[in-house]
Amino acid sequence: MKTSPRNTIYQTNVYKTGSDDIWNCLTCNLCYDECPQGVDYPEFVKEERDGNVESADLVHKGVFTLLSDMMVDLDKSRTSLEEAGNKDSKVGYYPGCLDFQDMFFNVDADFSSIANSSMKLLDRMDLDPKRLQMKCCGHDQLWQGDRTTFDKLKEQNTKLIKESGIETLVTSCAECYRTLSQDYDLPIKVVHISQLLKDADLGIDSNVDVTYHDACRLGRHMGEYDAPRDSLTKAGANVTEMAHTKEKAWCCGVSSMMNCNDKSKALRKTRLDEAKKTGAKVMVTTCPKCLAHLTCMKNELESVEDYDFEIKDLTVFLADEMEGKKDE
Amino acid sequence: MSKLVGAVAVAGGGVAGIQSAIDLANSGLKVYLIESSTSIGGKMAQLDKTFPTLDCSMCTLSPKLAEVSRHPNIELLTYSEITSIEGKAGDFKVKVKRKATYVNPKNCTACGLCVSKCPVKVPDEYNEGGNNRKAIYLAFPQAVPRVYTIDAEKCLYLTKGKCGNCAKSCENDAINYEDKGEEIEINVGSVILSTGFEPFDATQLEQYRLDHPDVVTSMQFERQLSSSGPFEGHVTLSDGTHPKKIAWIQCIGSRSPEIGRRNCSSVCCMYATKEAMVAMEHDSELETTIFNIDVRAFGKGFEEFYQKAKNEKGVRFINSRPSGVEVDPNTNKLSLKYELEDGNGIRQEEFDMVVLSIGLTPSKSSKQLVNIAGVEMDDLGFVKTRIDRPVETTRPGIFVSGTMQAPKDIPDTVADASGAASKASSLLSSERGSLVTEKQYPTEKDVGDEVRTGVIVCRCGINIGNVVDVPNVVEYAKDLNGVAFVKEEVYACSSDSLVGIADMVKEHNLNRVVVASCTPRTHEPMFRETLMEAGLNPYMFELANIREHCSWVHQNEKEKATRKARDTVRMSVSRANLLQPLYKQKVEFNNSGLVIGGGIAGMNAALDIADKGFHVTLIEKKPELGGLLNTYTKLQDGRSTNEVLEPLIARVESHDNITVLIDAELVELEGSIGNFTAHVKGDGVDEEIQCGVAIIATGADELMPEGYFSYGKYPNIVTQSKLEHMIDKGMDAKNVVFIQCAGGRNDERPYCSRACCTVAMKNAIRLKEDNPKRNIYMLYRDIRTFGRWEDLYTHARELGVVFMRYTEDKEPQVDEKSIKMFDQLLNMNFDINYDLLVLSAPMVAPDTNETLAPLFKVPLDSNKFFLEAHIKLRPVEFATEGVFLCGTAQAPKLVDEAVSQASAAASRACTILSSDFLETIGNISVVDSELCIGCGRCTMVCPYKAPELQEVVVETEEITYTTKKCEINPTVCKGCGSCAAECPTGAITSRHFTTPQIMAVIKAYGEGL
Repeated sequence: MKTSPRNTIYQTNVYKTGSDDIWNCLTCNLCYDECPQGVDYPEFVKEERDGNVESADLVHKGVFTLLSDMMVDLDKSRTSLEEAGNKDSKVGYYPGCLDFQDMFFNVDADFSSIANSSMKLLDRMDLDPKRLQMKCCGHDQLWQGDRTTFDKLKEQNTKLIKESGIETLVTSCAECYRTLSQDYDLPIKVVHISQLLKDADLGIDSNVDVTYHDACRLGRHMGEYDAPRDSLTKAGANVTEMAHTKEKAWCCGVSSMMNCNDKSKALRKTRLDEAKKTGAKVMVTTCPKCLAHLTCMKNELESVEDYDFEIKDLTVFLADEMEGKKDE
Repeated sequence: MSKLVGAVAVAGGGVAGIQSAIDLANSGLKVYLIESSTSIGGKMAQLDKTFPTLDCSMCTLSPKLAEVSRHPNIELLTYSEITSIEGKAGDFKVKVKRKATYVNPKNCTACGLCVSKCPVKVPDEYNEGGNNRKAIYLAFPQAVPRVYTIDAEKCLYLTKGKCGNCAKSCENDAINYEDKGEEIEINVGSVILSTGFEPFDATQLEQYRLDHPDVVTSMQFERQLSSSGPFEGHVTLSDGTHPKKIAWIQCIGSRSPEIGRRNCSSVCCMYATKEAMVAMEHDSELETTIFNIDVRAFGKGFEEFYQKAKNEKGVRFINSRPSGVEVDPNTNKLSLKYELEDGNGIRQEEFDMVVLSIGLTPSKSSKQLVNIAGVEMDDLGFVKTRIDRPVETTRPGIFVSGTMQAPKDIPDTVADASGAASKASSLLSSERGSLVTEKQYPTEKDVGDEVRTGVIVCRCGINIGNVVDVPNVVEYAKDLNGVAFVKEEVYACSSDSLVGIADMVKEHNLNRVVVASCTPRTHEPMFRETLMEAGLNPYMFELANIREHCSWVHQNEKEKATRKARDTVRMSVSRANLLQPLYKQKVEFNNSGLVIGGGIAGMNAALDIADKGFHVTLIEKKPELGGLLNTYTKLQDGRSTNEVLEPLIARVESHDNITVLIDAELVELEGSIGNFTAHVKGDGVDEEIQCGVAIIATGADELMPEGYFSYGKYPNIVTQSKLEHMIDKGMDAKNVVFIQCAGGRNDERPYCSRACCTVAMKNAIRLKEDNPKRNIYMLYRDIRTFGRWEDLYTHARELGVVFMRYTEDKEPQVDEKSIKMFDQLLNMNFDINYDLLVLSAPMVAPDTNETLAPLFKVPLDSNKFFLEAHIKLRPVEFATEGVFLCGTAQAPKLVDEAVSQASAAASRACTILSSDFLETIGNISVVDSELCIGCGRCTMVCPYKAPELQEVVVETEEITYTTKKCEINPTVCKGCGSCAAECPTGAITSRHFTTPQIMAVIKAYGEGL
């Protein structure tokens, strides 16, 4: 049967039979954006999942979730990218769980380079940032149906953020950005790094043909479509749009580390085909999970299709361009 | 034909006997494996690591020991010796004398209680006297069978009627002082002799001072290196300190005609190099020196290993043999006097420890057995065979393998062993299955939905019971979820307990069993069988190791050990509750073979398969059979190659079971073990061949050494094969120079070609015998006439062949008429005039290897030869099942070695062909296709090439696309679970270790925190 949000809501709330579709939903917000009645189906899914994380189809055997779960119990446990930069700075940069991804993904992508690139860019913008070492933001737990763990992570991180003395928290990850600004109640400003980069003069004139893949958490969840594009144009890159873009952009299929299967692969396949059609040299994104899963498909062992463009995080693309300039 | 008996007696339980036994038993023949000591394993069980890969010897051997111990077709007769062999091929009566062990194997559970009570200390043979064992003992921890033996010569009770502690302490009534041993007679169709070697007894060479405690034999040093040895792997001097400087002296008891040990022992150069490297790994400050005559690094990967030792690890190789070990009478320090390599006199140097690299000599018991078997020995004391029939003795139906035939290393021994098995199995092929019976089990009962788990907590005598509070664990287990019944046993593994377990399953209607005792490595197969006898699926079993993991490691913390035992039992029960029955699948297959390559190896492999009654197709790319041997005219035993090749070719061509396709090549291959489809194309040939197994015997070519030593520049420079034809035709060249290693042992071809020294020696002798006045100069880097071919080297020297040593950095310079060379030993330059220059060029892998390897999904090594599954124990197999290799396709080798490997490959292949169907294992990994995203990671991690990506069309609600998805070939999968661990989406399930099962164990662990 075809997936139908309406059907799922009926089965769950009216007939009380429940539906597996609450686990199949990618919570990408595409339906919410389309819905004439403004039904927030992803929010419904999130609430329905709560307390039932055992039913979730977690990728990588749930190892990422397990790691974050353990962080809750182990008081001193933090993500492994160490604190760096100016410790008295009022601007904090939070890399998220990039180190976990380096540990467990084997997709030929260097996730920690996102953190390093972000720091370089913030330095170039003279923001004199400090890199924070905290726990995982809890985004995945929240969407996988484990609000209890999420709440603990939220509490512990909030304490850490308050103690750090920062006034602005910068993230490079779309999921962290959504979570820290929507699902936390922080007394400070939370920004996505693209929102700073769009106005920054990095001294780059890159002239590279790129296309931008909207991460669902930054785009439809947070409504930020322009900042990453503006950051690219400002740096001299030529942005060509894919067939589905901005509000209509298709998801990578694996938000919250769930549902990596042949259905979500259909989305990645379409996405890579669309990117290929733009003729871009680089497909830029702002979410490490988009990066991981699109790269995974692009580099698969016996690929049916060849994709000869690069996939890069926005910060890595800009930092590379910036350093390339320096070399000349 | 007269009577044939479908059983084989294998004499000797070393790695050779073990391999023969497994091959034969797997081919449906009954095997009696007869070993004179208390455990099988042989010398290999004593080795620390093996060259050139530095694998742990015991780790690779012990699975084979276990396989023998539980093989239904193998009857193990340890502590037994053959006393007579009567009869003829097909029907021998063999008398076997079983010595008294004074321990009833049915009752002994190897708990070791008796050992702690035995007051007698005896030097431990396994550790070469480095420490003591008791008078009642197990030869080594992994010994098979796991039954104790009383040393009758040392036991106080048996010698003096005192003590009796072991009988008193034994809780299972296993000690029987009245044991008298017995003589039994077995009826077999064939006998394989493989009783191996004895290390040379160096005490007879008093000048090497083995009486000094810091002069040790290489076997003693091997035990010193081993973590299971007397010093737990820390090389230790007699004063308790650790040496800083160790010297090895090579050729102790080898290459020594003055004491009647003429032959080279083949393995010492490599084991000494290995020992030096391993010792340096243990202590990076250690200085090591190996005193040698030549460094004989002739096998696959050996030369590279030697170069690494010399150039990267800093092992010092000195080309000189000290004539003795000197002991300073005042300080008792050791020193060696040796000739300097530059010819500038003699140096005396002190060492903390001296290791004597003792050779391999025929053992006394082997000599006895040779007499009993009535087979001929050669003048070196090894069993006499022929180059083209390396495993056949002079008495039909009796075969030989391993170091009883000649000194050789483990892979050659293993190849021989399979080769001998092949010959025995060919002889008895009509009797396969006649003497073996398949065990019948009751019908399996339905598991149902209700979990009813039974738990047995074992005391293992006092092993567990004295540390862990077993009754407490029993009470604890009763309250665990899913547990229906719990009981305590003194020995869960004793035969009456096993019956008890089966009864318990029936009485309490249990559907899962947890035994909390010892390691699954030794005991799981037995308990699984017990479950089958009780009508349960064998996979409904789980072992909780509360001995190794609890009582042994925490013996001083009884309470904590008990707590850990409770945790372990809780975790095991949580997993057991989720276990599901698993079944083996039977798969039909094609029982014919394919051999690629019609050289001496390929032809012998084809014949060995065909002689067992299976059809085989032999394909050869050249227009005639014979391979590389066609280019030579004589063998090193003096016979002509035609004398060997012609009858062989005739037999191959006329054999009913062999189809020969010449001028043909394999162009395509599909399928896997049991069901290959090979597309063969060639001159007038375009065929698809169905087969179940394939053997790669594609051989090697002699390098045309263009660019080396002016080859191709002047007409009077030839290779060895060309020379042989010239000698046959008659030639008058007066001054003949040989240059060895022409194009080999260099950066481009870093390997040694193994055969060239022997071939050159053969030809030098022929030239000298043809005309004694001829001047022959052999320019060499190391002479590597290993094993019995050392005699050729000696003979060549006796005939006056002049040997001059050159080094790689100062190669001889060849002009049209003369050669300038620097003799490293004499430290002098020479000008040699020559009429004919003969280059010993290495064998090289044919280019076709690179197209063939991917077809079979098998790897090549860095020199483009085929890479076998395991360099020591699986020399003729690939990791890809159903595909085998032999001959020079694997590496350069001599004819007898190629033939032995050919039979070995056939033997291994026929263990598959002789079954009625292929059987998968129960716990294979399976793919959930919907979750598979076709990333292909499983194909990269699988050691057996079981997962394959297949193109499929995926239809989703809106998008239809083509992608690849993984399929796991059930006949190839071994259930290791690597793919399941690697799979990012969870699409692959390792069926006996599912994610829910593993998570349940982790959660159960967490409950105790």
